[in-house]
Amino acid sequence: MTEELRNKAKELLKNKQVELIIGYQRSPDGICAKPCFIDKETDTDLLIWDTYCVYNLSNYLKEYAGRKVGVIAKACDSKSIVVLLQENQLKRQDLFIIGVECRGVVDEKGAGFAQKCKSCLSSNIPIYDYLIKEREQTRKPLEDDDEYEPIRKIEAKVLLERFKFWQQEFKSCIRCYACRQICPLCYCPKCVADQTQPSWFSKAANLTGNFSWNVTRAMHLAGRCIDCGECERACPAGIPLREINKKIEKDIKELFKYQAGANQEQKPFFACFEKSDPEDWIK
Amino acid sequence: MREKDSWEPKITAFLCNWCSYAGADLAGQSRLEYPPNVRIIRVPCSGRVNPLFVIKSLMQGADGVLISGCHTGDCHYSEGNFYARRRFTILKKLLEYLGIDPRRFQMSWVSASEGEKWARVVKELTEEIKQAGPSRLGDNDRIAGEKK
Amino acid sequence: MTQKIIAKEELYKQLNSLAKDFEIIGPKDLFNKGFFYERLDSAQELYLGEGFTTEPVKKFFLSPSEWLFNCQYNNGKNSLEELSLPDKKRIIIGVRPCEARGLILLDQVFGSQGYKDEFYLNNRRRTIIIGLACAKPDAACFCTSLAGSPVESRGMDVIIFAKGDEEFILEIVTDKGKEIFGALGQVLNETEKESHALEKEKNKELVIPKIKVPESLCSIFEDAYWQEVSRACLDCGICTFLCPTCHCFDLVDEQRKKLRCYDGCAFADFTVEASGVNPRPTKKERYRQRVFHKFEYFKKNFGENLCVGCGRCIRHCPVKIDIREVVTNIPVTENK
Repeated sequence: MTEELRNKAKELLKNKQVELIIGYQRSPDGICAKPCFIDKETDTDLLIWDTYCVYNLSNYLKEYAGRKVGVIAKACDSKSIVVLLQENQLKRQDLFIIGVECRGVVDEKGAGFAQKCKSCLSSNIPIYDYLIKEREQTRKPLEDDDEYEPIRKIEAKVLLERFKFWQQEFKSCIRCYACRQICPLCYCPKCVADQTQPSWFSKAANLTGNFSWNVTRAMHLAGRCIDCGECERACPAGIPLREINKKIEKDIKELFKYQAGANQEQKPFFACFEKSDPEDWIK
Repeated sequence: MREKDSWEPKITAFLCNWCSYAGADLAGQSRLEYPPNVRIIRVPCSGRVNPLFVIKSLMQGADGVLISGCHTGDCHYSEGNFYARRRFTILKKLLEYLGIDPRRFQMSWVSASEGEKWARVVKELTEEIKQAGPSRLGDNDRIAGEKK
Repeated sequence: MTQKIIAKEELYKQLNSLAKDFEIIGPKDLFNKGFFYERLDSAQELYLGEGFTTEPVKKFFLSPSEWLFNCQYNNGKNSLEELSLPDKKRIIIGVRPCEARGLILLDQVFGSQGYKDEFYLNNRRRTIIIGLACAKPDAACFCTSLAGSPVESRGMDVIIFAKGDEEFILEIVTDKGKEIFGALGQVLNETEKESHALEKEKNKELVIPKIKVPESLCSIFEDAYWQEVSRACLDCGICTFLCPTCHCFDLVDEQRKKLRCYDGCAFADFTVEASGVNPRPTKKERYRQRVFHKFEYFKKNFGENLCVGCGRCIRHCPVKIDIREVVTNIPVTENK
């Protein structure tokens, strides 16, 4: 697959179909991968593709708006490109998406595959211009894997237990905003957390401030988050951010039958409504 | 120390101008009695309410938050309340998931002629918040150096 | 310098007995999250193994957020209300040599010239530091390349060296340390002293020198190199917040109080001026600033690099930017 990837990249740069290719290269430690930006044909040999290619490269696309860019996208990355296109943050004709069928990426904090990969149908790539297929058997998602199992576990706790659980988690938030910076869908030029007139929540890393920040970010991603898992991976405090975003994802799927990142023509979740939306909780 | 007996809930309510606010006004005109714990903020439409308003209220010490708007289909701006309905269904479930008592955030549809419903909604809400007790959310502002 | 050997149990017992007068802070193992400094109820909760804490001990001296003063407005008059500084004495145990050195560098910023920052200095005064020498540096460590060492005791009151699972060798460094730990343990005999010294030398060798800091970076300020190396950067601030020497902060007015909270050159808004102009508009300028502050400006002002080689920025960067690689590969031109 790496061979095919490098050849395609070389071809794209040669034909001037793209000015730049965003892909993965080996990191200085010799084992992991890191993002790389290639604008010369000779550099395409730096490109790699393996299970260490964790990053969601679509995060970088916004910086290169207006230029023709090629990007390597796994199924999860491709979904975030779909959402960015739905929201008119990118122009389709400026992108050349090299889709890659992925067998799962490593969990950098533990062993084995990342949690998000366990229930992913990695050949289901919603958008691409060229597909690099997996030669060997595509790994099937676990038959009985319930991707919402950690959510259900938390839902099953009683209210006070849940409160204590989340207070404990949010206590360690240092408000570094890495979750926001690494998220391809957090692209506001001036984030609500940085606003001072008015100030929506405290900049201090205390419980109220941290709670407000995490709830606000979760709400701003509702119906848009496609579970690339980068936020949780980046968080230095180890906060289980996916368990917040996936809770909203689960509610939206169950109550509204909506899934983010399905196709470019789909309307964003909060920009539409159905007459039959649930309101049994409203007095 | 029976401090708790003297505690009165503070409830922030966002009322849409055309229906709920008028309904609350009617309740007043009709001299209907209901608890005074609700602080009303008038907004043009329930769709104007940003989830941040709810979060900020709760974090600054509100014991409860209510959003009240026109019945679906009757919105003065045609669809504002449909968007609000979607938005706050998600917020409600999220807050509950994060351990905030679901009684503290509620929504209601109160039309301009439903003065009695308004009084009833506020009565029930205040009672529920009284049961839920004072909110501990705003207590966590204390960081190093602050005098208590 | 007194060198003693002490059983873990004895050390823990002493810490527990000190808990009534001191706040005991040390690393805790939070399993899949990593190791974090926390206030401990009992010494049993301590983690004194090989793993490195995510956050450096700096946060107990330069607080991630603190109120500086209150403003009052009563009867048409403004007044400032000073807040009392915390006075509870503390013992922080498990501090690595690199972090302790980081505190010495921060002392330069907050206490050496001009304005003396009482918030920081008060925290320094009320704390006793028990350092933990590194038994096993990891691939990201590079303290020895920056005049540091995994076994030095600069900046500490006491330093302990793990010996197996049940014992520590203890070195008393300052009088403060002697007061609380002076009576513990048995003095090492000559053989033990020798083998301890050898052990220390061996550990120093384990740190691989992987950075070469040029004398001066000024000549390549305008180089296109900075564009290249900052491309992958996310401006996330993790490197700044986890660095034992980074110290930039923001002052914010909130609810009639003045808040000081962490900030960093990594953030786009850090240098936004009142007019809206931002002299560091892109990642290139911001990443270059980080490198220059650490390896050029601080060196010119205070004589040392503002980096202790702890490796946190490398371990936790979400996109694996390695500052050693960046600095070593700087295309410094020869001075003509």
